[in-house]
Amino acid sequence: MTDRRRINGPLGGTAPPVFVSSLTSKTTSPAKRTRAPDELRKIFLKTGLTPSASGSAYFELEPSTPTAASECLASKAPALKLTCTVHGPRPLPRSAPFSPQLLLSTRIKFAPFAARQRRGYIPNVGERDLAAHLETALRGVLIGERWPKSGIDVVITVLEGEEDNSWNKGQSGESGRTGGWGMMSILSGCITVASAAIIDAGIDCIDLVTGGVAAVVRQPTAPPQVFLDPCPSDHEEIFAACVIGYLQTRDEITELWTKRSIMASTDDNRANTMEFEPLVDQAVEAAVAARLVLIEAIKESTEVKVQTSQFGHPKNAAS
Amino acid sequence: MAPPPTPLSPSELSYLHTSLSLHPPIRPDARSPTSFRPLVAETDLLPAANGSARLCFADGTEAIAGVKAEVEKVQGLGNVRWYDNMDAEMGGIEESERDGEQEGERGKGVGEDKWIEVTVDMPGQRDDDAMVVFLAQMIHEGLVADGGLKNRLVINARWHWRLYIDILLLSPPHTYPLPLLSLTTHLALLSTRLPAPISNHDEDPLFNDDWDASSPLYPSSDTYPDAKTPPQSSPARPPITLLVISVGDNVFFDASREELAVADAVLAVTVGAPSSPSTGLNLLAVRTIDPPSRLSASAAEVGRAGAEIDAEGGKEGVWKASKGGMKRRVLARMVQMCVEGGGVGEEVLGGLGEFS
Amino acid sequence: MPFTITLPAPLSPLHHNEPSDSPSLDSDGDTDMPPPSKRPKLSTRSIVTPGETVTDDPQWMRGHGTYTHPTSPQILSSVAGTLLKTNKLLSIRPLRARYTPEIGDLVVGRVVEVQTKRWKVDLSAPLLAHLPLSAINLPGGILRKRTSTDELAIRTFFGEGDLLVAEVQSVYQDGAASLHTRSLKYGKLRNGVFLSVSGTGGGGGGVVRSRRQVWTVQTANGGGEVDVVLGVNGYIWICKHVGGELVEGKGGRHAGAGMGVNNLEEKVGEGMYENRNESIGEETRWEIARLSGCVRALVEGGCRVDEEMVMRAYEASVEDEGVGGEEGEEGGEYLGGERGRRVVREALRAVHAARE
Repeated sequence: MTDRRRINGPLGGTAPPVFVSSLTSKTTSPAKRTRAPDELRKIFLKTGLTPSASGSAYFELEPSTPTAASECLASKAPALKLTCTVHGPRPLPRSAPFSPQLLLSTRIKFAPFAARQRRGYIPNVGERDLAAHLETALRGVLIGERWPKSGIDVVITVLEGEEDNSWNKGQSGESGRTGGWGMMSILSGCITVASAAIIDAGIDCIDLVTGGVAAVVRQPTAPPQVFLDPCPSDHEEIFAACVIGYLQTRDEITELWTKRSIMASTDDNRANTMEFEPLVDQAVEAAVAARLVLIEAIKESTEVKVQTSQFGHPKNAAS
Repeated sequence: MAPPPTPLSPSELSYLHTSLSLHPPIRPDARSPTSFRPLVAETDLLPAANGSARLCFADGTEAIAGVKAEVEKVQGLGNVRWYDNMDAEMGGIEESERDGEQEGERGKGVGEDKWIEVTVDMPGQRDDDAMVVFLAQMIHEGLVADGGLKNRLVINARWHWRLYIDILLLSPPHTYPLPLLSLTTHLALLSTRLPAPISNHDEDPLFNDDWDASSPLYPSSDTYPDAKTPPQSSPARPPITLLVISVGDNVFFDASREELAVADAVLAVTVGAPSSPSTGLNLLAVRTIDPPSRLSASAAEVGRAGAEIDAEGGKEGVWKASKGGMKRRVLARMVQMCVEGGGVGEEVLGGLGEFS
Repeated sequence: MPFTITLPAPLSPLHHNEPSDSPSLDSDGDTDMPPPSKRPKLSTRSIVTPGETVTDDPQWMRGHGTYTHPTSPQILSSVAGTLLKTNKLLSIRPLRARYTPEIGDLVVGRVVEVQTKRWKVDLSAPLLAHLPLSAINLPGGILRKRTSTDELAIRTFFGEGDLLVAEVQSVYQDGAASLHTRSLKYGKLRNGVFLSVSGTGGGGGGVVRSRRQVWTVQTANGGGEVDVVLGVNGYIWICKHVGGELVEGKGGRHAGAGMGVNNLEEKVGEGMYENRNESIGEETRWEIARLSGCVRALVEGGCRVDEEMVMRAYEASVEDEGVGGEEGEEGGEYLGGERGRRVVREALRAVHAARE
């Protein structure tokens, strides 16, 4: 049933305008990673941005390629931007059964404008899946028994997500949609930002959990190599990737998600020989690096809090 | 997404946990750590599906999987076209070379993830329930990680098969039903047959309506009539997902509901048949699952602030779910046991192969 | 045989020669029931289906599983099952049913809900049973009235998930049971494992009401003494035998000092509601696992579960261990599959031999 009251666009959809670049082909060729294999993208992390929530944090990863190539619309490199709010601990609804400990619920939502292709507000499978991963990562960290009969909600909104392929690559119909490998760095970011927000909310944790990603990547000339913090659009093809949630002081893993694709393994058997453990170890490296940023961010916001409370409540200043 | 917490009394949990952390461990039913309870299965039971299987676990959980295939036009051809042109214009030499390689691989193209659709139905659960979604997603993830299945669905450049894998859990989910669903899917895929095409290369596909002429999706010996690829020594198999738990230093397979309740760590490991023999299995995906022990009441024995939170195992005779995560050493062992040559994964794949 | 898959077994033959251990169906043999007109003459083990006319002779009284029509003297069946005649009372035992509590039953239950003055206990009956706070032994002596302090501390006696053994004190109009644990035989269960099988009321395998529901087994292989508690409702508890009584805490050391009221108070006060397990040796744990394996095998084999059968099966499994070892069977002590069936056969044979 068409809407007669307004002039509709043509049926069947239209292709967005594409401006063929006048630049030379080199600048618009698929983005290449300029970082060293063990170099992470710069992380921006700040807590306490949402005053109405009991805890909140904002996380951003810089675009992987410098903005020089942004003259071409199609090749604008994606960044990762997440906000997290923590509500609670608050009492469980009356209808809920008795719980001797804190009940954790996680939600991850992509903003409609998070990717090139708009997505509606209807939650999809990928989001639920990510939320389940996040829940696993966080549950082991919380000291839940200190908060009986209460619950917290961790809500993450993905403001800008990474995409699997850069726009001008378009090998398949999947491009322009986050999914697959891109999800893995989103999850890693989610773990770190949720950890920051939970600490901002003042909920007891046994350690700081941070996320890290490592991937085995095809290289044009050399054998496949492990890269920390891969940006899917930087790499031609990813063989395997691993996300972990890591507790450094305890040397423990609360969350592990490894995926591998052996699609291309027939022409490159070396990918199969890539061991599982080194990949995990590399992901741990990435998580350890992210932890430094997390600690820095927490310290910063705690200092601010301490200062303001000193002025506000002279009693506290003494202690 | 964890299964609903099993209500077990603190003393039961303590008894189980201590028994399972002994050397050698004592399982409640006296099995060895890697042995599976006997399974009952049948395949090809649904006449209206391309492939089907029913599998019953010893604890009474039971599932049916049906595989249906539909012919579909390759999506997005028109939309993608302009990228292709752009690539070509931009002199994407590497790209075209690679495409050529892949073409040559099977005389066919590369499949896409969304050609396989997995749905899981559990009694008494809404179909957007987190558990259902999570399970379907995990099975899908395993199936697509093994490129083999996707690539089998290509008919020609413009047409492909679309597989609908519908899994029906018949019993209420006592344990974490992932391995049950995965093994059922495996058997169903092994019994799947696709009609034989009678049309030529890039024509609109027409199929022989003789069911006897249909070809199995997973041929028992993997030799393609037109393949230039060397025949693989071991026939290809759909991947399987195993649930591995660890208690203390011990690693267990096919955990019962009670064992799962005291697991320190739960891991879902997806393995696929090796592309070359004697290398062990392909590790396709690993993910941690929230151990249900953390939700049990006994995890909250100590409520006072400042009380010791992480005394390993607590007092003697009392068990408390551990905090934190799993050690890397344990993790590596769990994965190793699934993957290694002669390991559990191989055994299960072998058993399933013999059966079908 | 760590991983085996079998085809579904064919339906068991309709008239298998079940041992004559079922209670005699016609306790009043001299009264011949007139055969209903619409049905052929029935054997003594007749099976009736709902709506079937059992008799139209007004001399019979209707019992469980039957109903009558107000206008006619006919007695009709309301369940599918076997006919049971007790004097002039006609009742029908359903082939499979949930447990229905009766006064005096010894049951094992699991607390599912804690309310202000009572617990709700799962007995695998249609309704949850009640255990009022006033019906348990309160710390500080059994002759004490409950106080508001006890109400506040209700969770320290039993929490969610805790297992207890109790007696059905009364049955409400709606069929829900009210329990009591006011005896040293009853109370919280510790030091063992829990099993759930179908209880009384069902046909096939399951716990039956019998003379002794609780007994102590002197186990083989240095396992020491093990208690078995068969709840009539099909819940079973197998645990290490501690001291002179089933429920005993630290007071066990003074058990020899006689069972005075003062002594009793001490015990009730200290150990009654403890969640901590005693230290249990490995040998004991193995034997507990074996006993629970036997019960499982019996249920799978469709046998009744009572003291005699469990003991015979246990003896058979101890003997069978040697045999299994010679055959080089793997899988440890696991009593599943073929080995379980063998043990059950042996046990049945031994029971018959003892009868003759």
